[in-house]
Amino acid sequence: MKPSVSLVLISIVSVLVVFVSPMLGLDMEVSAEIQQRIMNEIRIPRVLFAFVAGSGLALCGMVFQAMFHNPLATPFTLGVASGASLGAAIYVSLGLSFSFLGINGTSFAAFSGALLAISIVYGISRFRQGFSTETLLLTGVAISFFFSSLILFTQYLSNVTDSFRILRWLMGELSIVGYRDLMQLLPIVTICIAVIIWLSRELNLLMAGDDIAISRGVAVKQVRYILFFSTSMCVGAIVALCGPIGFIGMMVPHICRLIIGTDHRWLIPASIMFGGGFLVVCDTIARLIIAPAEIPVGVITTLLGGPFFLWLLIRSRSKTA
Amino acid sequence: MSTLIDCHEISLAIGNKTLIENISFTVNKGDYLCILGPNGAGKSSLLKSLMGILPVSQGELVINNKSISDYSQKQLSQLISYVPQASGRQLPFTVLDFVKMARYPFHSALSDWQPADQQALEDAFDITNTGQFCERQMSTLSGGECQRVMIAAALCQQSPVLLLDEPTSFLDPHHQVEVHRLIQTLNHQHQITIIEVSHDLNHASQHSKQILALKEGQTLWQGAANNFLEANRLRALYDQDFVFIDHPQTGAKIALPDEQS
Repeated sequence: MKPSVSLVLISIVSVLVVFVSPMLGLDMEVSAEIQQRIMNEIRIPRVLFAFVAGSGLALCGMVFQAMFHNPLATPFTLGVASGASLGAAIYVSLGLSFSFLGINGTSFAAFSGALLAISIVYGISRFRQGFSTETLLLTGVAISFFFSSLILFTQYLSNVTDSFRILRWLMGELSIVGYRDLMQLLPIVTICIAVIIWLSRELNLLMAGDDIAISRGVAVKQVRYILFFSTSMCVGAIVALCGPIGFIGMMVPHICRLIIGTDHRWLIPASIMFGGGFLVVCDTIARLIIAPAEIPVGVITTLLGGPFFLWLLIRSRSKTA
Repeated sequence: MSTLIDCHEISLAIGNKTLIENISFTVNKGDYLCILGPNGAGKSSLLKSLMGILPVSQGELVINNKSISDYSQKQLSQLISYVPQASGRQLPFTVLDFVKMARYPFHSALSDWQPADQQALEDAFDITNTGQFCERQMSTLSGGECQRVMIAAALCQQSPVLLLDEPTSFLDPHHQVEVHRLIQTLNHQHQITIIEVSHDLNHASQHSKQILALKEGQTLWQGAANNFLEANRLRALYDQDFVFIDHPQTGAKIALPDEQS
């Protein structure tokens, strides 16, 4: 199938999902007026928020996979998300509260954590010449563990309320209310998308390996720093608002690549649409499966993502063997 | 003849490890330089520093009368293109997409594909005779086909200098000859300046113009290619004795490993 056709199909499905999701699980016993209010004030902003967050996560995953030529390299496996979580957890437990340019302080804290994590991971894996993706992934795993224990430590030092807030948020939840959170996220994800579209040709060349990319004229170092910065910003903002929702950044771009090929001019819009639609579906499941209670959406994505990760791992092993 | 590349006492180190030390050479327009030497002599590193992949730590590397550090990567890639050691079959692209990407240095994020780009693409396919692979995935090509596509992509960049890192290692004899002939055609008919890293001393001495022999990061010998084959020199370079015969058709001197040493 042509990439354009696949992209249109993916987009149609995603848009349908966005329209159908808010209607599912409406309580029929309440009045039409209350139903309308639930729709407008809770369901619709929540679905839109899920879509934007899913797009952002999928896109950041796509960028990492392209930069490191490995489907296992994503902001989550490389510790960027744990860095963001740590930043946000410290912010919450210190009881800080500030905002800048209308953007919440949690986002800045998460952004700093994300940037710190990627600097450490990338710095270590470049420390010895002969940079290998294996070193990068293992460093990422180690940093993730290290940051996770720091998060637990932060949580242990916090009071019971904050501790529960951190715990709940670490599971990844989307039970947001109103358009305020959406407006926090939308500008940052939009900027990130714009930067990535701007660099789509560079991403294509990076998939051919650093040496070829450089010989074709790509200023690889600068491009990489710009991408680290903008994806950290995006992951930071998403993690700050809804916790580390795992595995979307790994699954979605990889599936898109299987469907649509490796050209980022098609892959970017496909990842945006698929990622958004996918998180909306996961959130709908999380909302409905034990209704009226909800489970954190991160639990759903991780339940789907774990086996997917293993499948990728086994497949890439059998390919190289 | 105008000097395209002027290397003056360059050294290259990564961390504490010196890869090449005090190497000087010049390459003129239309030259064909072969870099020979045992494994680990620093040949590939030297090639990578010419491409701006590895930074020179000492000395001066002047390209077209301008220091390499004064070029942006895009400007540099309009002058020099590079075919890395065999790796093309791992690339996740179709042949057409891969070759087209070589037009990167001539575009900004918003510019369209121009007639000049199309011309460069068609020329690259014609010269290398790879147009028929257009729709194929890189991973489905044979070693020889893939190497020709890698050269096509470098040609599509339309740079006057072409760097090749062991373009014929891993190829069977037929495809070695085919790729070597292609490189000679580029040098003779298209006036492309060639710098090739090679282990094929007979090919280098017969078909290239200059030879730079490296050992442990230092220059062991440099000079005109047809003076290269000499018993003591080869022993010093490869720690291996050689004997010589004449090619039955061309009369050219051929080196063979000494079976009795």
